[in-house]
Amino acid sequence: MNDTRSAAVDAVTVEIVRRGLLAVTEEMKTNLMRTAYNLIIYEALDFTVGLFTKEGETVSIGLGLPMFIRGMAETVKAKIRHFGYENIHEGDILVTNDAYTTGSHLNHFTFSLPIFHEGELIGFACCMAHWLDVGGTLGTVTTDIYSEGIQIPIVKYRRRGEVNQDLVDIIAMNVRLPDKALGDLRAQIVAVTTGERRYLELVRRYGWTAVRESISVIMDQSEALARANTRAIPDGVYEAESFMDDDGVEVGEPVPIRVRIEKRGEEMTIDLSDVSKQVRGFYNSGVTTGIACAQVAFKCLAAPTDYPVNEGSFRALKVIMPMGTVVSAERPAPMRVWMTYPMTVIDTIFKALADAIPDRVAAGHHADLVFPNIHGINPNDGKFYIVGIGPLGGGWGAKASEDGMSATVCMNDGDTHNGPSEQLEAKYPVLVERYALREDSGGAGRWRGGLGCEQVVQALAPFQLTTRIDRMHCKPWGLHGGGEAAGNGIGLRRNGEWQTEFPNAKVFNVRLKPGDAYMMRSGGGGGFGPPMERDPDLVARDVREGYVSRETALETYRVVLDGAGRVDEAATRALRAHSDVSAARPTSMAEASEGPPLDLTPG
Amino acid sequence: MTSPGSLRIAVDIGGTFTDLAAFDEQAGALRFGKALSTHHALVEGIEHTLDGAGVALRDGRLFLHGSTIAINTLLERSGARTALLVTEGFRDIYEIGRVNRPDAYNLFFRRHVPLVPRSRRFEVQERLLASGAVHKPLEEEGLRGVLRGLKPQRPESVAILLLHSYRNPAHEIRVKQIVQEELPGVFVTASHELSQEYREFERVSTVAANAYVGPRVSTYLGELSDHLDARGFRGAFYVVQSTGGLFPVAHARRDCVRMLESGPAAGVIGTQAICAQLGLQDAIAFDMGGTTAKAGVIHEGRPLTTGSALIGGYDQALPIQIPMTDIFEVGTGGGSIARLGQGNSLRVGPQSAGSDPGPACYGRGGTEPTVTDANLLLGRLDAEHFLGGEMRLDIAAAERALREKVAAPLGMDPMEAAEGILRIAVTSMSYAVKAVTTERGLDVGSFVMVVYGGAGPLHASAIAREIGIRQVLIPWSPGYFSAYGMLYSDLRYDFVRSCFRRLATADFGEIEGLYAAMEQEGLAAIETSAVRPDSITFERAADMRYVGQEHAVTVELPREVFAAQDREAIKRHFDAQHGIRYGTSAPGEPAELVSLRATVTGIMRKPPRHAVAEGGALPPADALSRRKPVYFRDRGGMVETPVYRREALCAGNCIEGPALIEEHASTTLLQPGDRMEVDSAGNLRVAIGSVVR
Repeated sequence: MNDTRSAAVDAVTVEIVRRGLLAVTEEMKTNLMRTAYNLIIYEALDFTVGLFTKEGETVSIGLGLPMFIRGMAETVKAKIRHFGYENIHEGDILVTNDAYTTGSHLNHFTFSLPIFHEGELIGFACCMAHWLDVGGTLGTVTTDIYSEGIQIPIVKYRRRGEVNQDLVDIIAMNVRLPDKALGDLRAQIVAVTTGERRYLELVRRYGWTAVRESISVIMDQSEALARANTRAIPDGVYEAESFMDDDGVEVGEPVPIRVRIEKRGEEMTIDLSDVSKQVRGFYNSGVTTGIACAQVAFKCLAAPTDYPVNEGSFRALKVIMPMGTVVSAERPAPMRVWMTYPMTVIDTIFKALADAIPDRVAAGHHADLVFPNIHGINPNDGKFYIVGIGPLGGGWGAKASEDGMSATVCMNDGDTHNGPSEQLEAKYPVLVERYALREDSGGAGRWRGGLGCEQVVQALAPFQLTTRIDRMHCKPWGLHGGGEAAGNGIGLRRNGEWQTEFPNAKVFNVRLKPGDAYMMRSGGGGGFGPPMERDPDLVARDVREGYVSRETALETYRVVLDGAGRVDEAATRALRAHSDVSAARPTSMAEASEGPPLDLTPG
Repeated sequence: MTSPGSLRIAVDIGGTFTDLAAFDEQAGALRFGKALSTHHALVEGIEHTLDGAGVALRDGRLFLHGSTIAINTLLERSGARTALLVTEGFRDIYEIGRVNRPDAYNLFFRRHVPLVPRSRRFEVQERLLASGAVHKPLEEEGLRGVLRGLKPQRPESVAILLLHSYRNPAHEIRVKQIVQEELPGVFVTASHELSQEYREFERVSTVAANAYVGPRVSTYLGELSDHLDARGFRGAFYVVQSTGGLFPVAHARRDCVRMLESGPAAGVIGTQAICAQLGLQDAIAFDMGGTTAKAGVIHEGRPLTTGSALIGGYDQALPIQIPMTDIFEVGTGGGSIARLGQGNSLRVGPQSAGSDPGPACYGRGGTEPTVTDANLLLGRLDAEHFLGGEMRLDIAAAERALREKVAAPLGMDPMEAAEGILRIAVTSMSYAVKAVTTERGLDVGSFVMVVYGGAGPLHASAIAREIGIRQVLIPWSPGYFSAYGMLYSDLRYDFVRSCFRRLATADFGEIEGLYAAMEQEGLAAIETSAVRPDSITFERAADMRYVGQEHAVTVELPREVFAAQDREAIKRHFDAQHGIRYGTSAPGEPAELVSLRATVTGIMRKPPRHAVAEGGALPPADALSRRKPVYFRDRGGMVETPVYRREALCAGNCIEGPALIEEHASTTLLQPGDRMEVDSAGNLRVAIGSVVR
């Protein structure tokens, strides 16, 4: 352990400063959410706020978006490189939405406010938030960055206190919903100025030296924890592989995801060199996101709950990330759906480590936001609207000691909420016919994977539908003999006819008429351990609650239930004894819930 | 029937103690009582408390009651076998919830667990649109079939949530009637009776919680009613709601979930009463007990409220969407444990030693150092005088725990470590206060902090310094404060109606109609109540936002703006409120209404303020109990400090810090530089010295 504790600051001050830093980023988050104009910020929490050192190191992050763990720090560093310290002044606010800097898409406008204390630059308050629209083509798959909207290089939004109105005017003319965009911009300014004000209060209260030294100790503490937990992982080289369905352009052409992990002593190296080269369709992300994949996985394994994220958390991790892959794409690769592939990269890292640390990983999860976009003209006011309906929430993987959770947002997002159906119906011409758990969608296992969801939405006025959903074919995998889960999927009802056979789960600008409907299905989570080893009473409960069908209970779990749904112990023992474990190989759970739902409201 | 007596009796059942405050309207006398809560037999606990305080129920005119029974039933999951009826297609919304995962890097995260399992959730064939229009009529025969099928499972309660019932409750009302016909005697509750705001998950969670706690709470309140009758009580029985307002026991037995936070809300009402007595506009109500600290706010004479709350930890919380007193809670209390984390970080709480085993100094087997142990070691609590000397504390055990678990590994002196633990605890409590003040745009420097709860007065001065508060007030009997607050509660009915309208084009006739209907309902409830209030007041507010925004803020609106149909005035109120809360507003942007809120209050006659004997600036000689060494960091160590008996202090007495003022269930610490004066009501008014900013 690298002990750099300073004598200048005591444990009590460190703890008080830690609490203070957290409070600053929490308040930035609260103020952004409450003043934001779009559901993606307020309900989906697609944003990240944070405090950074003057070098751009992460001091404290208020999430938002777990996958943005790296993007903001790297954006601050890029801004420092761009301007140089000599050109960063009190009263400035720096901004960019450059996809290759943030590592994500153009929707992520990222503001950084340099914080000065007694004339000295002491750090940055930053806020990234997802704008609903940034221009570009609507709905279709893009094949370069230029078709994805306005690009703002690193510039100043505010110079020494004076707003750059030219910039604001350029933005306003290039986005479809300028009122919302500029409303969100104002909310982000509230967030960074809140950060500045509260950070300075903390610095004045305890003194800059004590705060600076405390930050250094806090990072060391995070590092110590991560190292201790890494030490406990057996040394070795671990590899795993999975794939994405396709890039939306080359339909049916799988995109391979390969990871290699080397663990030695108290350090880990995650090598993402063999992740697929960047693709033609819009599923690429930038190098900061590639590194974030490794860091998120490492954080989940090495320091999941003990401390909030800061730079120290990652000192024991080395990432090998060459340029030009799907998670380190270069200009002009399209990036609009940056968030989808990285989640599968993370799951694949867990898969690689499943034998080394079975009790610390989870089986595969549904790994997609399942967040369709619709746009059209609202008959209530005759105005153009765009809205994302979701995220649906899906199944998470089972673990060595417990079932996976159902109906929960995927890895990319954290405290992200879906929107109330009542609000959706009050604002847009849609009718939610059904929002339900999918029976049998969780992977079977000693511990069962969580269940995915199904949502059916009817058009009350015409709209265009776009879905960019992946992981229909590469279903969430089980671990240690656990079964795979149902994958993600879509369906369309047009003129009363359901269509559920699609080559992938991607449709672009499909027009639905009143009475037509779409269906979104999220996958479940993979199972853990052989299904035959599941406690029969738990299987009986799952059948009673409708999580698992009687057929699956019998065929996959080999549990015999009587007419009242109770376990027939003798028959179950006999059935389990007479089938070879390998014969009862986990089957795909997808079949049982394939096909259109039966009890749809007529539209 | 004989005429009721003149006693106003308030009983608050808390986690550990049942507290009583009684006011004799004829004699003007105030009495207090305390007994251990008996969770297996609550009525018995009340009886003990009444007996202990020498209060006879036959003398009662009003019986006011708050209890943790509803919240405990939720948290302990000991409620009724409940069934849930929901709109077809939405059986799982209660389980799906909002799909969020706050614990973002933890693969072992947990979600909320519904109070009603999936096998007891049933769909009802019907559908309304967002406009309230019927899209699909209610299929009654199918519903009856479901209920007949349910009967053998012997459900004890049924909750009903139909989509858009906030716009049109007709289907929920009809479903409720059918349930009552098919399942007579079962507790039935429909979402619109509790909340007429959109958000189906929050509403289903609210109505399910009401159904889940309903049978137990209703039975308990029924038993208590019978008991009061049997003991000759001839007055009126009211229950305290989470708003701090009262409602008749008959309503409490139906809308049980409204009494979830009755105790904490009553403390805020007590603070409001003190403000009214002293002519104060703004105050913080701060309550510190064994496991948590809570802060609420009085702003411009009235408690701040919120439209919903989360019950249980954030990750797995069950939302309750009804108006409540806005109270922020942190997991810091006397029992909070100090421990070292990886890399020798010093953490305090949220783990608590509770009352069993309790802090190390309780000598009941606790070995972890706590905030109470730190206070004992620093001389702020006294081993011989804790709870009036009824419980002897083990100072050696406290010292051992602090030394072994914290001080030695950090290379600190145990006294220094103890003082550090208190500073961390104080910082974390100060964030509870900031959360309800500075984070809402309120300038805390102009607020008086009213501090109560057993452990509050010990830390009040330090918290005030941390935040920049200049005045602290320790009320008479801080250990009985929730019960005391109940004596000052008013009858209160709160209503909310979702109503999405652009302000610029909203129809004032429609809005007036909605407000008038809500006010009429409140008025009718108050007029049928057994007690005549002195007067009835009506207050209006609206949840508003800029067009395009998702989140709304609640704006209080004077009645005149409606009479004058003054859209600009409403907009100005909204812009101003938005500016105060978020530091920004957009006067040029159009605004919209989201929900209308009405509060109807039946103002009850208030007991006059309590009075203590007059005295001079110098406390009477017998008030000084002893002198003892107490640790003060600013003074570099132990300082010989006087200890006073609170009950011997007279109005006008002044004491300079450092000093300790002891009473039965609490100790007040004055730090060097503080100056305390006893006011004519017996409150300790502390002017905080050298505020650190």
